[in-house]
Amino acid sequence: MTERKWTTRRDDKRARMDSVASWLDAKVLARERVPDALHALIRSGDRVIAEGNNQKQADFLSRALADLDPERVHDLHMIQPSVGRPEHLAVFEKGIARKLDFAFSGTQSHRIGQLMMDGVIEVGAIHTYIELYARLFVDLIPRVVLTAAFKADRDGNLYTGPSTEDTPALVEAAAFSGGIVIAQANEIVDDVSQLDRVDIPGSWVDVVVEADKPFYIEPLFTRDPRHITDVQIFMAMMALKGIYAEHGVMSLNHGIGFNTAAIELLLPTYGEKLGLRGKIAKNWVLNPHPTLIPAIESGWVETVHCFGTELGMENYVAARPDVFFTGADGSLRSNRAFCQLAGHYAADMFIGSTLQMDPDGNSSTVTTSRVSGFGGAPNLGCDARGRRHATPAWANLAPGADPMARGRKLVVQMVETFQAGLKPTFVDQLDAVTVAERAKLDLAPVMVYGDDTTHLLTEEGLAYLYKAESLEERRAMIAAVAGVTPLGMNADAATTRRLREQDKVRLPEDLGVNRTEATRAQLAASSIADLVDWSGGLYEPPARFRSW
Amino acid sequence: MDTAALIARESFVERSARARVAGLLDEGTMRELLDPFERLRSPWLGLQDIVTQADDGVVIARGAIDGTAVVCAAIEPAFQGGSMGEVGGAKIAGALELALEDARAGKPVIPVLLLETGGVRLQEANCGLAAIAEIHAAIVALRAHVPVVGVITGPVGCFGGMSIAAGLCSELIVTREARLGLNGPQVIEQEAGIDEFDSRDRPMIWSLTGGAQRHACGLAETLCNDDAREIANAVSRAVAAPAREPARLRDIDTHLARLQAVDPAWRAEAAWVRTAFASKQDENGSPA
Repeated sequence: MTERKWTTRRDDKRARMDSVASWLDAKVLARERVPDALHALIRSGDRVIAEGNNQKQADFLSRALADLDPERVHDLHMIQPSVGRPEHLAVFEKGIARKLDFAFSGTQSHRIGQLMMDGVIEVGAIHTYIELYARLFVDLIPRVVLTAAFKADRDGNLYTGPSTEDTPALVEAAAFSGGIVIAQANEIVDDVSQLDRVDIPGSWVDVVVEADKPFYIEPLFTRDPRHITDVQIFMAMMALKGIYAEHGVMSLNHGIGFNTAAIELLLPTYGEKLGLRGKIAKNWVLNPHPTLIPAIESGWVETVHCFGTELGMENYVAARPDVFFTGADGSLRSNRAFCQLAGHYAADMFIGSTLQMDPDGNSSTVTTSRVSGFGGAPNLGCDARGRRHATPAWANLAPGADPMARGRKLVVQMVETFQAGLKPTFVDQLDAVTVAERAKLDLAPVMVYGDDTTHLLTEEGLAYLYKAESLEERRAMIAAVAGVTPLGMNADAATTRRLREQDKVRLPEDLGVNRTEATRAQLAASSIADLVDWSGGLYEPPARFRSW
Repeated sequence: MDTAALIARESFVERSARARVAGLLDEGTMRELLDPFERLRSPWLGLQDIVTQADDGVVIARGAIDGTAVVCAAIEPAFQGGSMGEVGGAKIAGALELALEDARAGKPVIPVLLLETGGVRLQEANCGLAAIAEIHAAIVALRAHVPVVGVITGPVGCFGGMSIAAGLCSELIVTREARLGLNGPQVIEQEAGIDEFDSRDRPMIWSLTGGAQRHACGLAETLCNDDAREIANAVSRAVAAPAREPARLRDIDTHLARLQAVDPAWRAEAAWVRTAFASKQDENGSPA
């Protein structure tokens, strides 16, 4: 019997690292050596992570990756939380990479959809973030990780600061499995004492290189209050009365849209008038949304744990360490893996929006022209079946007095019945089904499943879907608040009346929410400039959001 | 600023034209002329498949401010970008001409113009331009009798022929969100190229045409925060002031000399513009 060799991965890594050793000074690689080094460190067929987060992008390294010679390096299997840069797709068009597993594709959603349909990209799956990280430790173990930091020292210690995001999860998967970790940094310092703090220890990192320019970061969570409509304010008022107050929601995540931005800006005004301060919305898992500033300043918010950061919020966050998680240096520490876990297991509620919903309540933001992925929404927007602790809001959704009855996470879809261009939100079949067929996906990319959705809020009313006693009743409840969409027009008036009597559906008048009160005057801040005032000048909005 | 004050603060920019006027006038004195129920619509927009508005986006109202008779003309920023069409323009021109008759008859009525406009309504072209010319003439004539008060707060700003109307006012009140310029950013970019003027570079645009810059250059008399009460107070002070020709309209030679000093090959910068406006004419007629 031949002795099995137990160190093939380690040996392979050593061989690759030996081939670049002469170019390294400690762990520092000169910028002009990056093309050679990537050719030496990455082999055809490798699983490679080019760190594309929701916000931070390892764009210097991903540009270098897209410049590799496809004759020498090809058939890479890319694993990316977020596909956010043009070069992330160029590696497929050039034949450097073939397969992609990802979670979110924000700004590239149109192009990625086209490349999927054309068969240029073979998609493994469209994951939720934490599911993708989980697979990095099971069946998608990476060979090479390209990551990004604000600062590095010569020994590979990294300061990722407010933009730590996915880095710990990605780096850990490679560093402890014989993988190679290459970090770009905006600045390389000589000694660890010159780093603000160490977010990633140097022994986890193999190569550092100073980027040609600071890594790109996308201000994804800034919503200009100027664009919030009266209808969104109307729905926000219904949400506060019919959901937040009704169930005593203490811990929560908000989606990224204007609907939930409206709720954030109503807390200090309408919420205060309802006497809800201290009774709802104290503990948040949320990026530092600028629109949360008024609620924080007026004492609504106790804590916020962040997935990532938001451009312009750095000084504000650093000045509010009681609220935000900050390091010894004072700056924010974000961590998407932990924050997604928190949102899954420890939050009472997820509330977000969608582009399409089918009659059963399944919803998706994927359309035939746009494959955006879902980021954290599927994880945040589902019941945590493994949960074993009760909170009042969670327990409030338990059916009846059965000693085995369990509560539920509130999963709220807050949508207007029509989207831009007068497209009905409610459709017979999600576009996701067509996309799955055309792009040969195993699963239709559904963002939130109907059986996880506990509440549906439209401008027509609020359906308490968790109270539905059958699928048929759930459908009737959805139709009851679907307005004048084709689905809504088929709602049976007698059934809707019964659902209202049973408190399964509440219209604005049932909730005591007055349409004429739903005006922008309710917003605690009506412009970005107001948010700056609320922050005492600490919030520094990116140029594109300024109108002064 | 404490949180209670922030919540209590009411935005002027947020308000519709009608609500802006109502907020400026003494309680119970507002009387609208040619209100929406007169259904005086643009005869041109419908022909171009554009939905009209029953007041053509202009509110004219008589009333009083601190007991002084005023006539307010407010352009609705949310309708067609505040553009000046034939009807809306004629409403303002007519209101000003009536105020002129009153002034000449010894019954002064102070005009207050709330200017949120991209300028002439392109769909109505010369009809709008003709009205704007009448507005200019009326303001100049009125200024000999009464103060003519102009207010620009944003979100639209004041552009095109109406920026000249703003410049003719006895007193101009602006916020930092206001913009005042002959051409809007997109027009300049289209004409002069993106290197000269990038219409997406918002800080640059406001640094040159924003309310704070115009105030610093002496092209606007009063700079206010976007606070309805603060703006109302500024308007009421301006209404109470005597008829006058503002400094910026008196010394034409200085302005011409400043223009002479501009090399169009330079890319304008905010600080340089402020310096140029601060320069005084020396005795030889050239800027110091």
